[in-house]
Amino acid sequence: MSIDDRQLTELIEQSQDTHSDAMRQSRESLPDLVEIGRAARADGEVDTTPSGVVRPVVLGGGALAAAGLGAAFTALLATPAFATASKDVQILQTAASIENLAVATYQTALTLDFIGGASANPVVKAFAMKTMSQHADHAMAFNAAVAQLGGKQQHQPDPTLLNVVNQAKAGLTGPGPVVDLAIELENDAAATYVKDVSALSNKDARNTTASIMGVEAQHAAILYAVKALLAGGAAGLIALPPNVAQLPAAAGSVGFPNSFYPTQGARPATEGASK
Amino acid sequence: MKRKHREELPITERELNGLTADLDDAHHESLPQMRESLADWDTESVEDDGAFVRLVRGTASRRGFLLGTGAFLGGAALVAAGGGQAMAFASTPAGRNALSPQAKKLTGDLAVVALAASLENLAVATYQSGIQAANAGHLGAVPPAIVTFAMTAQSQHRDHAAAWNAVLSAAKKPKVTGVDLTVKNSVIDPAFAQVTDVTGLAKLALELENTAAATYLAAIGVVKSPAGVQTAATIEPVEEQHGAILNFVLGQYPVPNSFTPTTGARPTSDQIG
Repeated sequence: MSIDDRQLTELIEQSQDTHSDAMRQSRESLPDLVEIGRAARADGEVDTTPSGVVRPVVLGGGALAAAGLGAAFTALLATPAFATASKDVQILQTAASIENLAVATYQTALTLDFIGGASANPVVKAFAMKTMSQHADHAMAFNAAVAQLGGKQQHQPDPTLLNVVNQAKAGLTGPGPVVDLAIELENDAAATYVKDVSALSNKDARNTTASIMGVEAQHAAILYAVKALLAGGAAGLIALPPNVAQLPAAAGSVGFPNSFYPTQGARPATEGASK
Repeated sequence: MKRKHREELPITERELNGLTADLDDAHHESLPQMRESLADWDTESVEDDGAFVRLVRGTASRRGFLLGTGAFLGGAALVAAGGGQAMAFASTPAGRNALSPQAKKLTGDLAVVALAASLENLAVATYQSGIQAANAGHLGAVPPAIVTFAMTAQSQHRDHAAAWNAVLSAAKKPKVTGVDLTVKNSVIDPAFAQVTDVTGLAKLALELENTAAATYLAAIGVVKSPAGVQTAATIEPVEEQHGAILNFVLGQYPVPNSFTPTTGARPTSDQIG
């Protein structure tokens, strides 16, 4: 493995500086949501849950049960307005639910020795950690937008994708299956947001969503490259900087298979909306 | 492009080509979806009302471009060589037939469509110049992964340009076959003249990809037509993917931002020709 850990750390630190600038830009698009959200909300209570909190999500067969039917019922009674939440709020809640699931999935993956432990490829491990952090940022942004539109923040995972992750868990016996699962989640997230941007009526919600879709696409691109190298027995080429001269030709194009980002995997707008 | 000889190849091309076969199929499957989206433009009677011009009003100077996109040239120790010759294609683009007067008259959503087409044309031309420079031996050894990257990215930019021009045709407007001359003259030509190796070319390509992505992101915020938003939304992530791979190749963290920026977006006041 040809990697300089210090250099990788520096790159990630530089990335974090850039990330901070991008966060500021994203926040700038949120304030305008407030008045529009107030106008859009015909009645009901305003959710006053503090924004910016990504609550831990437990993966596993009992996750939904753990959330509890009773708790869900209580939440429903406490926030009757959200049964008729605006379309924009539902879209944003679903987006937050997808991000919550992504955070939890990467968090789980990082507990596997071959992803986050001693036997892990350092670049893969660093990528998983950074990507998890970026998904947490996305969840915060979507939930901030939900709150500013007067909706209830969504801290639960997308239920359908949660089932996908749970079904995949038993097969996560090496880096390849984990990367496959991550690709599926990233593609579904990107596809959902690509579709959402033309469905959202609120301009700021649209801008926030648009600023996130490309990031998920980038995650997918790198994961495609990693998948190809792993499958080809060239894990040693997963390095930063890479040995470009040694990379196989296909590695140059495997990351972007479509001229136009497909939306077939887009999740329905209401799938992760608060009930 | 000449491919660099490799003494040791830890992975076979057949293996990777097999892995990407399904992805090639996916690429072709995405085209009908795009055509469907373009058909929506036609039925929506694309508006031409000037609301778009405020989209990307910004600095058209080279300094502005560089400041907005990272000023990568500042620290690069690039030495002039054969790049000028290689840039001949981009210097004499099909843009001679471009409809710049007509493009200038476009307002509203269609002004952004024309801008988008011109940026895509510029990307196609710049990659072509890079390929020609490589073939002429001006860039030294060219790794095979760079060859496939350049050819695939160029092909996709050509698809994007065709998509935008289909919108113009549907709106009974002339196609834009020229390039964004503002970017070409102030940024691409001077930078390309100093490109001497693959790294320099990759940096230049990254700037182009970032600029295109930023422009689409800005457009999504101002385009009125839902189909227009959808078209930009299906292309922007692809430019971001190009950028991620270029960052990786350059040894930079491939996904540097949690939120993609609009910094560096081009204004509709850019000259097209």
